[in-house]
Order: sequence, then structure tokens, then C-alpha cells
Amino acid sequence: MPALVTRPANAASLSAKDLQVLGRAVAFLQPPPASGGVLGIAYLAGNPASLADAEAIAALIGGGLRVGNGTLRPKLVEVGSLAAADCTVVIAASGANGSALSIASRDAHALCVTTELAAVEAGLCAMGLKSEPRVEILLNHAAVAATGIEFATAFRMMIHEI
Amino acid sequence: MNKPLLLLFVALPAWNFGDSARAQSIDYGASELLFGEPVTASVTGKPQRAADAPANIEIITQDDIRRSGATSIPEILQFIPGIDVRQTSTGNADVGIRGYNQSSNPHLMVLVDGRQVYMVDYGRIIWSAIPVQLDEIRQIEVIKGPNSALYGFNAVSGVINIITYDPLKDHLNSATVRAGTGGYLSGSAVGTGQIGDTAGLRLSLGGFRANDYPQGNLSAGDHQAREAPFTGTFNADGRWQVTPNVEVFADSSVGDTRLPDQAPPGVFQTETLVGTSLRAGLRADTALGLFSLSGYRSDARVSIYDIGLAARGAVALGEYQTTYVFEASDLMKLGADHSIRFGVEYRRNADQSGSLILGSISNDIYSASLMWDWQMTPTLSLTNAVRVDHLLLHFTGALLPTSGLTNAAYNATTLTEPSFNSGLVWKMTDEDTLRLSLARGVQLPTLLEYALQIPAGFYNPLVSYAGRPDIAPSIVWNAEVDYDRGLPAIASVLRTALFVQRIDDINSWPFGAPLSFSLVHAPVFFSDNVGYSTAAGVELELKGHSESGFRWNASYALVSTTDHTPLDQGPVLTGTVDYAHSTPDHVLIGGVGYTRDKWELDLRARWQSSYLDFRLNPARRALQAVNIDNYITMNARIGYRVTDNLTVALSAQQFNQSQLVESAGPPVQRQIILSVSVHL
Repeated sequence: MPALVTRPANAASLSAKDLQVLGRAVAFLQPPPASGGVLGIAYLAGNPASLADAEAIAALIGGGLRVGNGTLRPKLVEVGSLAAADCTVVIAASGANGSALSIASRDAHALCVTTELAAVEAGLCAMGLKSEPRVEILLNHAAVAATGIEFATAFRMMIHEI
Repeated sequence: MNKPLLLLFVALPAWNFGDSARAQSIDYGASELLFGEPVTASVTGKPQRAADAPANIEIITQDDIRRSGATSIPEILQFIPGIDVRQTSTGNADVGIRGYNQSSNPHLMVLVDGRQVYMVDYGRIIWSAIPVQLDEIRQIEVIKGPNSALYGFNAVSGVINIITYDPLKDHLNSATVRAGTGGYLSGSAVGTGQIGDTAGLRLSLGGFRANDYPQGNLSAGDHQAREAPFTGTFNADGRWQVTPNVEVFADSSVGDTRLPDQAPPGVFQTETLVGTSLRAGLRADTALGLFSLSGYRSDARVSIYDIGLAARGAVALGEYQTTYVFEASDLMKLGADHSIRFGVEYRRNADQSGSLILGSISNDIYSASLMWDWQMTPTLSLTNAVRVDHLLLHFTGALLPTSGLTNAAYNATTLTEPSFNSGLVWKMTDEDTLRLSLARGVQLPTLLEYALQIPAGFYNPLVSYAGRPDIAPSIVWNAEVDYDRGLPAIASVLRTALFVQRIDDINSWPFGAPLSFSLVHAPVFFSDNVGYSTAAGVELELKGHSESGFRWNASYALVSTTDHTPLDQGPVLTGTVDYAHSTPDHVLIGGVGYTRDKWELDLRARWQSSYLDFRLNPARRALQAVNIDNYITMNARIGYRVTDNLTVALSAQQFNQSQLVESAGPPVQRQIILSVSVHL
């Protein structure tokens, strides 16, 4: 099982615990992601800080993110190239959230995930999460539906939707 | 990966291929891992994180069960704030939530994975007959206060739902042997086999035997009436993922139990019980929500040995109880903020006895329920649930001539009662949660309160005992405020509760009712409604654990009850309904524990104030009140993980006293138990 590499919390916009929550939440997709699928880490082209954050997230993930009994392989993807990346799930690195990522993830039928809850509230990303002090998951009902993705009904009962 | 599966009596191979199963029913394990806290569907029928539930719920995890060193579920429950446990024999107890405990307590609903396991004669629980092994319990959910809107009649003081591991998602294989003082010997085995993520089967088998408690201050006759307890149960639980969205399930059990206990009139006796159950159903995740359909049948053949009967040359009393339940529900999410659940249910409870009833009594109950949960804002949610139950009563057989009752009167009896639960949950901050709840619950008269037929000369030379069809159900109102606060500085959570409750039309047994005269002018002790009772209480609990392996808990519970009944207002005790005195007002609980490497140590203590219990005097002519002094009980357990698969533990229940008077029955024995557990 691939291990998560522990890094200082400020090295990436997602912590190791955030990534753990992400992996466990994504396992409730219907159908669950196939093992070996691609976990895109989207960054904004021409934005060094965005790229640096994406690289830091990839380093935290290491060889792969555990999702149920399988693993998703991380891959850095420029927002503009998301459609061709065949991603199952895409993490928005800092600076990547915006209409371009929203459209790209929708067209690619990839679940967009972020820790910037404002982006979820604005409908720019489908799922937001935080792991401290309490695990909270926020789904944008319309954004999820537009992507053609479904979560198990029992899961939707236990999280917040807007 | 193939994993060989070892069972004491049955061998099954276990494989697990591929991805995790589709989540159709609640995936408790995956959900708990995700949220870092237990999840439950027991409060509203909707899957929820425990902290979000609109009711006061305590969840006892498998880790809690193991660390308690308990050998029975009542022993685990006695350290939960607000729960009163009165041990009657090894493995059995009368359990009440927030007062109103009594012999053969009918106010508590107990279920295993949603299937009721209480006895329909007295509405009581025979804990040792529940076909579940401690090792196969994922969690025990304790909901305090009425929850009739989801569970129907009789869920009035609270609900205990025992959730077992999922045979499709959880790989559980274990065997445990225990031996201890008091002639205690038990064994249990649990085995799970799976075919990928398509099908799973869990089998469990277990039982115990022990000596009975010492005589104490029981009469020689009462002591002789009690025989040593034992039990043996078997359970099979299977799930089949037919399609990614449809799951079929079935479970079946059989059990053989003997226990010494005390019937409601204070008579000491021994019962044997052979019980079976069979349930099947399906769950589907559809475009119209989570649909569930199930049916089950359970039965119990009961024989009661009463030394008084033997002295008179009478045969043992016998009963045959059956329950049928068919239920369907649909849970759907409407948009982002609303969840609703529709439910319908048909239930038939029947008790047939040539000695206690002189025939057969049954009720058919038709029910419909609706739950609506509204996430008003990200921090504020409101849940409302309503239910209507319609009952029809049936009696066939011979009624006592002295009762003046007729079969027609029974068969014309119907009643319709609504119940509701409302709860508001406000997450004030990340650390503070406020919960307001209001409930109306309905306590149906038990089948024996309706139809008991004991002629004069059996217990009393001149007076007969009889149920009545026109006894009204008790109505329970509960209002509650709960406040929880996280205390991260000390890695703890503070939980507080303040509640008030009122019970109208209290039901009294014929044995505990005042003397009256029937329509034919014969003296009869009838089941009766005997006034109302009010209660108010407080619960305070602090609980926490550190990353270094320490854990602690401390709690205080107060329940103050006032009865407004015509009973026991003269020199002669006329009834067993004396709730103001029959449950201890104050309970203090404390515990500490530590885990380091392979060692686990836990200590806990419980002190309760005095209360009043009842029994028949040795001449069996009149009730006798027995004052039970305040007492403290202390338990301890030390466990050592020899290997990843093998654990040895030594536990001491009530190590502070060799004998403890907990009720009007015999004193409870100190128990030292050595256990060896293998987990594969």
C-alpha cells in the first residue's frame, strides 16, 4: 500500500489528513473509481505558486492515494489540459479554482475537489473538504450533477450539500 | 488473497477480491473511518454522524466492549450515564433508561440490526437469549428518551440497537473462551466467509453456564426455585450484492436458554426458553432513494418453573410467543437540504398459553410513519418524525368467569395512537452543539396486561388475577435540552442533558394493581391504569482520551420522579408501581484506562443511591418492599496481546465486594474471569 509522505502543513494546501479524507470520501462514488485510475492535481499555467503547490501535494501523495481497496495514481495536470488527462478525480491546487477548471472537470466527468470551500459555494468545484477540527465535506449539488457523477445515497445523507 | 477460516464447529473459506462493495446499506466501517466518529441510522432512520443526531445517543464501540471485560450486554450498559441495571442472574438484568426500571421492565426497546428482540408477554428483555456474541458487535447504540416515531409502540424510555459487523464488508473471524469463579464457563466463535464483494456470510455460535447467585436473604423456597443459568445460541447472517444497487439479506437464529429470574409479582422462578428467528429482505439505492423491504418471524417457547406450583402439584407454566413483522421504507434526499423517509409496517404479536392466558392473545398493528429532516443552514438542522399506529386485539380461549369479561369485548378492542419526535440541532461553533428535542411516545399494554388469567386459589386463595382489554396505553412526553462541548485542551468532550418527562395512564400489572370487583362482583386484581408520573433529570459526562494511550470518563446522572397514583397510600402495599422510589436517584460513574504497547488496563466504578424493590413475602400473600442500600461496584480488566492474533485478559467484575445486594433478589457475586481470544 502506497504510503503518504508526511510534510510540514504549510508545504501544501492539503494536509496528509485532508488527503486521507479525500481518499475515503471518493470511495463512496457510484461506481467507485477503478484501481489504477488517475488522480489529477490541477495547477494554473503560468502561475509558479500554483505549480509549486501542485508539486507539494503530489509529493505528499507519493506513489498513490488509497481509495477503498485500490489506488489512484497522482499526475500533475495543467488546467487547460485536463480534458486529455483522463482523470477520475482532480484536486485543485492553490490558484487553480476558477471557471476554466470548473468547465474542464465537468467535460472530463472528473470530480473536482478542493479545500477552498468558497469555490464550492460558488459552484466552481464540486466537492470541498476539511479535516480539522472535524471532518466536513461539502458537495455542490448542481456541480456534481453537471459532471455526471453520483455518490451513494447513504453518503449524501451524512455530508452537507448546497 | 485467500485466507483460511477457522471455526469451532463450521469451516468456511474466505476470499476477498476487487474493490470495496457498493455502499447500499450503511457502510459503518468506511463511514466511521471517514468521519472519525461512529455513524448511526437508529435515531431517524437516516444515516447520520453520531454528533449530528437529533437525540441523546451514546455509542458503545467494540473497543469499549473489549476493554470493559464484560461477559454480557447488561454489564456493559451499567457504566453508561442514565442507565439503571439490576442484575438478576449471570447474564441477565432488568435495565431501564432514566428511571422507571422494574422487574421485567417493558419500557425499553432492544433490537439487533433493527430486529426487535424483546419478549411480547411482559414486554421484557431476556438478555442472555439474544443470539449475538460480544465479538460480533460493531457498536451498541443507546438512544435515551422516547423514539416511538421510528420504532412504534414501547420505545418509550429508550432504544438500544445492537449493530453487528457486516458479513459482506467486514472480515471477522474469532474465537473466545472464558472461565471464571462462580462456575462460569463460556465460549464463542464467529466466522465470516465472502465471495469477493458479491456475497458474505457470518456464522456465530456461543454460550455460557454458571452457578446461580447465593441464597442471600431469600427464603429457602425462593432459592430452591432458582436453577443455574445457561444459554446457547447460533446465528447466521448473510448478504448478497445482487446488482451494484441492490442488496439482499437474510439472517436466522436459534437459541436455548435457562435463567432464574423474578416474575413481576415478586415470585422467584426458573424459566427455559427456546427461541428462533428468520428474517429476509432487500435494500436498493434507486432514483427514488434508499428503498428497504423486509420481513421477519420470531418465536419463543417458554416454560416457567415455580416451586409454589410444584408444591401444589401444578405443571410448569408454559407459553408460545410469536412475532411477525413486515416493513417497507424509502429514504430520499430532496435537493440539497431535505431528506424524507416514508415507512409502513405490519406487526403481529401473539402469546398462547394454557396456564397464563387460558387461550391466545394477539394484536395486529398497522403503522405508517414519516420523517423529514431539514438542513436549514450549514449549522442548524430540524428533524420531525410522526407515526400513527392502529391496533386490533384478538382473544381466543376461556376467560375467567370471575373477570366478567367476554371474548367479544377483546375482539372489539382497537386503538389508534400518534407519536412524534422533533429535534433541533444547532452547531454553535466547531466545539459547541446544542440539541433541543420534544417527543410523544406510546407504551402499549403488554399481552399479559391485556389477557392474563390466573384463577383464585393459584396464587391467592380468594382473588383471581386478570388482564383487561380496555386498559389504555401509557403516553410518554419528553422534553430535553442537550449541550455538548469539545475541550481540545484536555482532549475531552463534555456532554450535558436536562430533561423532563411525564407518563400518563401508567399501566399496572394485575399483580401490582389495587383490588377491585368485576362486573360479576368477584374480587379480582385487574390490570389497570393507575395515574401518572413525572420525572426530571440531569446528566453530565466528561470523556476523553490522549494520544499517549490514556482514556478517562466521569459522569453524574440524576433522575427525580414523582408519582401521582392511588397505590401504596395506606398501611398495606397495594402495588409495585412506585417509580418515585424504585430507581436510584443518583448515579456516579468513573473510569480510567491505559494502553501501552501490548498491554491494556481499565478500571471503572459505579456508585448509586438507595432505592426500593419489591417481592412477595414468604407466605406469598402480600407484597413486601425491600430497601436496597446505596452501593458501589468496581470492575477492572487487564489485557495482553500475546501476538497480533492472540489476546489474554483477566477481568474482575465487582472486585470490591464478594457479594452485593442490587435488588430484592439474591446478591450478585464477585466474578473473576480469564479469557483467551483468537482473532484471524
